[in-house]
Amino acid sequence: MTRYSGGLIDRSREITFRFDGRSYRGHPGDTLASALLANGVRLMGRSFKYHRPRGVLSAGSEEPNALVELREGARQEPNTRATMAELYDGLVARSQNRVGSLSFDALAVNDLLAPVFAAGFYYKTFMWPRTFWEKLYEPMIRRAAGLGSLSGLPDPDAYDRGYLHCDLLVIGGGAAGLAAALTAGRSGARVILADEDFRLGGRLLAESDPLDDAPAADWVARTEAELRTMPNVRILPRTTVFGVYDHGIYGAVERVADHLPVPDDRVRQTLWRITARRSVLAAGATERHIPFADNDRPGIMLAGAMRAYANRWAASPGIARDAPVAIFTNNDDGHRTARDLIARGARVAGVIDTRPKAAQTTAYEVFAGGLVTGTRGRLGLRSIRVVHDGRERWIDCAALGVSGGWNPVVHLASHHRGRPVWDQDIQSFVPGQGGPQGLVPAGACAGRGSTAAALADGARAAQSALTEIGIGSAAPDLPRAEDAPVRQAAFWHVAGKGRAWVDFQNDVTVKDIALAHKENMRPVEHLKRWTTLGMATDQGKTSNVTALAVMAELTGRTIPETGTTIFRPPYTGVSLSVLGGGATGPDFRPTRLTPTHAWARAQGAVFTEVGQWMRAQYFPRAGETHWRHSVDREARAVRSDVGLCDVTTLGKIDVQGRDAGLFLDRIYANTIATLKVGRVRYGLMLREDGFLYDDGTCARLAEDRYVVTTTTANAGLVYRNMEFARQCLWPDLDVQLISTTDAWAQIAVAGPKSRALLERIVDGADLSNDAFPFMACRELTVCGGLRARLFRISFSGELAYEIAVPARYGHALMQRLVEQGADLGVTPYGTEALAVLRIEKGHAAGAELNGQTTAAMIGLGRMVSRKKDAIGAIMSRREGLAADTRRLIGLQPVTPGQSVSAGAHLFARGAPQDTAHDQGWITSACHSPHLGHSIGLGFLEQGHTRMDEVIVAANPVAGETVELRVVSAQFIDPEGGRLRD
Amino acid sequence: MLIPHPLLGLRDAQEFSYLGDATLIDRPAAPAPDAAAPAGAPSGAPPDDEPGPPGATDLAAVEAAFCDYVFLRDNPAGVHRELWYHEQGDRSWLVVTRDTVTHEILGAELARDVALARRAGDGAPAMPGQGPDREGQA
Amino acid sequence: MTDLASHTAFGAAQPRDRTIGALALTERPDIALASLTLRAGSRAPAPFGLDLPGPGGLAEGEGVAAFWSAPGQWMIEAPGRAESDFAAEVVRAVGDTGGTDVSVTEQTDGFVAFDIVSRHGPAPLDALLERLVNLDPALWGPGRATRTVLHHMSVFVLRRDASRVTIWGIRSAAGSLWHALDAALTRQNVGGYP
Repeated sequence: MTRYSGGLIDRSREITFRFDGRSYRGHPGDTLASALLANGVRLMGRSFKYHRPRGVLSAGSEEPNALVELREGARQEPNTRATMAELYDGLVARSQNRVGSLSFDALAVNDLLAPVFAAGFYYKTFMWPRTFWEKLYEPMIRRAAGLGSLSGLPDPDAYDRGYLHCDLLVIGGGAAGLAAALTAGRSGARVILADEDFRLGGRLLAESDPLDDAPAADWVARTEAELRTMPNVRILPRTTVFGVYDHGIYGAVERVADHLPVPDDRVRQTLWRITARRSVLAAGATERHIPFADNDRPGIMLAGAMRAYANRWAASPGIARDAPVAIFTNNDDGHRTARDLIARGARVAGVIDTRPKAAQTTAYEVFAGGLVTGTRGRLGLRSIRVVHDGRERWIDCAALGVSGGWNPVVHLASHHRGRPVWDQDIQSFVPGQGGPQGLVPAGACAGRGSTAAALADGARAAQSALTEIGIGSAAPDLPRAEDAPVRQAAFWHVAGKGRAWVDFQNDVTVKDIALAHKENMRPVEHLKRWTTLGMATDQGKTSNVTALAVMAELTGRTIPETGTTIFRPPYTGVSLSVLGGGATGPDFRPTRLTPTHAWARAQGAVFTEVGQWMRAQYFPRAGETHWRHSVDREARAVRSDVGLCDVTTLGKIDVQGRDAGLFLDRIYANTIATLKVGRVRYGLMLREDGFLYDDGTCARLAEDRYVVTTTTANAGLVYRNMEFARQCLWPDLDVQLISTTDAWAQIAVAGPKSRALLERIVDGADLSNDAFPFMACRELTVCGGLRARLFRISFSGELAYEIAVPARYGHALMQRLVEQGADLGVTPYGTEALAVLRIEKGHAAGAELNGQTTAAMIGLGRMVSRKKDAIGAIMSRREGLAADTRRLIGLQPVTPGQSVSAGAHLFARGAPQDTAHDQGWITSACHSPHLGHSIGLGFLEQGHTRMDEVIVAANPVAGETVELRVVSAQFIDPEGGRLRD
Repeated sequence: MLIPHPLLGLRDAQEFSYLGDATLIDRPAAPAPDAAAPAGAPSGAPPDDEPGPPGATDLAAVEAAFCDYVFLRDNPAGVHRELWYHEQGDRSWLVVTRDTVTHEILGAELARDVALARRAGDGAPAMPGQGPDREGQA
Repeated sequence: MTDLASHTAFGAAQPRDRTIGALALTERPDIALASLTLRAGSRAPAPFGLDLPGPGGLAEGEGVAAFWSAPGQWMIEAPGRAESDFAAEVVRAVGDTGGTDVSVTEQTDGFVAFDIVSRHGPAPLDALLERLVNLDPALWGPGRATRTVLHHMSVFVLRRDASRVTIWGIRSAAGSLWHALDAALTRQNVGGYP
C-alpha cells in the first residue's frame, strides 16, 4: 500500500475489489482510481489508437485515460472513468481496449506503426475500393481502435425520471457553489444544489489550505449540515447537470445506485428535468497539462490531481510512499503540489518550472527555466529528461505532476450560443456574453479561482441572481481562505522531437496538429474532425484549449483569432437508459384497452395493437388451427347470422352549440347542417390541401347536438383540427367540443339477425325498418333502464347497428348480447373479420385514405359540396387533384387459387412494368370467405370505365406477376338492399 | 422550452404540439361558387353572412389565395408568430411570438382572441407587428 | 335499474386500492363527472351552489366539486353519483340557478379517478408527484387543478389539499396509469427518495 496518513476515507472499514482479476483493498470514500493508486497500480488502460500504456491523468470527470469496464454480466458498463467510480465492496473492473493482458497488449504493434496512423489517415487510406469500407476496413478499425465493450445483454436495472422546480439551481458544490447555496438557502429561496461528486466540497476537499484556521472539510461539513436543515434546500450529490435547455430547463442525471453493488429495488439512475428561475454555475476549473515528448506514461498526471490524491485520498502517486516525485509546471500551482507532497512525506526530486525567474526554495530543488523533454519507463514512469541551464540530465522519478494552469469549466455557459472569451490575464477562456439566460457563472469557472475569491463570488452570484427575481438575500459570513493571485503564463508545449500528446484519449499529438496545419485543416472545427481531437468520452476537456494554443502558435495568430472551443450537451456521457427515463417495455407508451377487453381475453381472443389500443383480432375456437379458420368463420357469421365487434376505439366527439351544424358543414366536405335530428350521415373530411384524411359518421342527437365519429387512428388529430377550426378559423361560431371516446362502450351488431338480437335487449323501442330505418339514430334504454345510443349504420354491408352504453357496462352488454343471441348464431368477431367484411363491401379504410387520395378516387367526388365552404373544398378542385383519374375498383384473380397482394402495382396486359406505365396499385386484399377466393381493392387509372378488363399486378418484392380482373369494389350487394331491409 | 400560457402561466413545451406560422389563422374567404350575386360582400362579416359569391375570375384568385395559404410560409430567422396547441393541457391554441434564433418568447395570446380581434379589426394578416392584437393597437 | 353489472376500468367488479408506506392509492369509480361549457354570450352559472373557479382552480362544495378545464369549460364531479345520469342532473342544476345557456356532456365513464392520500403530510405526496408530473408544487398546491401529461398520458391533477390528490386519467389507459402510479409508489417506499 502507498497510503499516507489522514485523508477523507473511512479507515475503520476495508473493502475488497478486483481489477483485471487481481484482488485489492480500499476504503469507503475511495474512487477506483484512488484505490488503485493507493495499491501502487499506475497502469490502468491502453490508448485508443496506438494502444499505449496509460495511467490516470486526473482526479475528476475530465479523465481521458483511466477508462474501465465496470461490473460484470448484464451490468457491464464500458468506458467508466475510474476517477468517478465510487468504490464499493466487491467492485469488479477490467481494463479495456487491449488484446492479451494490460501489460502485454498485442495491438501495441500499432504504436510502432504510428507514422502510418497519423492524423487523417482514415480519410486517406480507406478511400477505395469503396465496397471494402463496410466489410473490411470499418470492422477492422473498430476491432483495433476503440473503447470498452457492451455486454450485449438487456439492461436489468430500472431507471426513472422526475421534475424539479426551484428559484436557484446551484451547479457544483465546491467553494463557490456552497457559498451560493448558503446565501440562497438562508434567504428562503427554493434551492437545488447538485454536484457530480459523491461528497460536497469540490476542490476544498483536495487542498490542504485551511478555512478559518481549520481544515476546509470542517467548514464543508458545517455548511452541508446547515443546508440539510433547510426545508427549502435540496442537495443532490452524485448528480451531473449535463445540459442547459431553453428558458431555464436543465437536464441532470442522479446516479442513485451506481455506488452500490446492485441497485436492489432502487432505480439505478434518475433523469431530472429541472426548471430553475435562475442558476449559479460553480463548475470549477480543470487543470491543463503541458505536452512534451512521451508525456503519456503511467505515473504522469496533472499536478492538481496528484495533490487531490494525496490530500483527499491519502494516496501516493508513486509506487511507494517515498518514491521520488517530480513536478513540471509553468505556474505557482505546481509548487503547491510539491509542498503538499513533502508535507505528506513524499520525496520531491525537483520542480521543473518553465519560468526563468521562478522562486527558489530550500524545501526542494527548483529548475527555473527548465523543461521536461523526454521520459523513460515502458509500463510506468522511471525517469524524466530535464533540460536546464543548457544542460540535459535524467532524473529518476516514479511520478510526474504536470501543471499548465487551469481552464475554467465553461461548458454549461456555452450551451446556449454562449461564446467563451479569452482572458489575457489568466490565459484562459472564461464565460462570455450571450450564454444561457439566467445562468450566472461564479468562482473558478468564471476565472476567479482562489479559494477566497471563489467563496465571495459564489455568494455574490447568488445574491445577484436572486435580486433579479425579487428575492432579497444577505451575504453570509465567509471563512478566511487562501487568496493567492491566479497567475497563469502562456507556455503551451515543449517543442522538440518525439511524440508529445495533446489529446490522450484520441492519441492526438502536437505533430498531428502540425500536420493538420500543413494540410490546411486550420479552423478548429476542421482540426477536430481531421485529427479526432476532442472527440469520444471526454470531449477534449483536457486537450481542446491546448490544441487551440498549439494551432495558434503554428498560424502565428492569437488564440482568440484562431478560434474558441464551445461545448454542447451533455457535459459528460449520459446513458441511453437514463435518457429514456425508464420508458422501456410496458412503460414505453401507454396501452389502451377496450371496455370488453377482459371479456375478450376470457374468450381466448388474440389481440393486435392498433396505435395505443389493444383490439381483439380474432377469437379462435377449439379445432381452428390457422387464423384464417377463425376469421372466415367470423366473417361468414356476420353475412348469415349476426356478429358482435367492439368498436369503442373509434373517436367520438360531442359537438354542441347553436352553430354546431354550420360548424360541421365547414369541417366535413359534404353537407351536414341539413341532417335531421335522429339521423346519421357518412361524412368525409379533407385536409386544407384538398386530400382526404378521415371519414366517419355524424349523428344528430338534437337540434344543437351532434356526435362525430372518427377513425381509430385519427381520433386525436381530428379533435385537434376541430379545435383549430373552432378557435382560430371561426371563433365567432357558437360551438362546443369535447371528446367522449372513452365514455361510451360501442359495439357493432351486424348481420341479418342483428335486429332480432337487439329487439331482445332494448326497452320497448320499435326497431322496425319503418320506425328505425337505415342511418337512423336515437337515445334509448336497454336491459331495464340503461342509457344507450343506437345507430343504424353498417361497415359490413349487412343490416347492422352500433350500440353505445356507458363504458362501465360495455363488458356486461357484450355478455348479454352473446347470451341473448345464442339461438341466432351470434358470433364475436375481431378486427381481421372486420377488415374482410369491409373489403368485400368496398368500404375505404386506412389503406385507401393514406393522405394521397381524393374523394373522387374513392368514388365519392360528388360528396364534396360545391354549395358551401369547407376545409379543403377549394383546393380539392384544383387542376392537379381534379385531373386524377385513378378510381377505386375491385380486383379478383383470373386463375382461381391465385392471390391478390396489397402493395402490388397495376399494369395493362403486355405493357412494360416500369414507372412510366404504372396505372395504379392494390391497397387492400384478403381472402373472401363469401366468394371463396382472394379479392382486393385498388386504385386504377380510369378504373370505373374498365370493368371486366384483365390487368396485371406486379409485385417485384415477391417476384410475382398475377393477372387480375377488374370488378366493382362492392363485391357484396352492390345495390345496398341488405343495408336497408 | 417554457410557453407562457396566458391563462395558466409558464408551462413546459412538452405539453404542447406545434403547428407553425400563425398566418394559418388568416384562412382566405372562400366563395360559394354556385351563387350568382355580384362580388363584394363586406369583409370580416359575421358567420351568418356567408362571404359574397364571386365571378369566375374571382375563383382563380381564391384558388391562388388558398395555394398561398396552404403552401407558402415565411421562415424567418428572428421574430416569428406561431401556433402552439396545448394538447396535454386546456386544449387552447396559442399564438406565441418567438425569436427563432434565440428561442426567446416575447409573448403568447389565445389564438381565439387573436382571430376575433382580426375579425373586429381591419383584417390585417397575422404578421409580426401588423395584427390589431399587437402593441401598436394602443 | 338495469340488471347489467358495471365493471371498473380494469374490468373488475371492485375498485382497486393499494397502500404503500405513507401513501394510499384508491380507485374511485363512484365519482360522477360531467363537463359544462358556456355557450357564446353566456355567463357562468353556479350549479349546486358552486362558484365555478378561474383557470387552474378547483372549487369544492357539499358533495360536489368543480375544476376549470378550458376557457369557459369546467368539469363537475360528484362522489357517489356515478350511477346516476349526472349530465342531466348538471343541466337541471344549471336550470335551477337561472338557466344560462350551456353545453353539458357526460364524462363519468370517459375517465378513471385515483385518490392518493398521504398519512404523513404533504412530503411523501410531493415526492411522488415530482416523479410523475412536471408541475411546480408552489404553483399547483392545494385548491389547484390542471391537465398535464403523466408518462405520455393526459391526466387531470387535482390537489384537493396538502395531503390529498386526485388524478383523473383516460379510462382506456387505466392499466398503464395504475402501473405508473404503483411503480412510483413502490420505488418511493424503498427509501431511495426523500
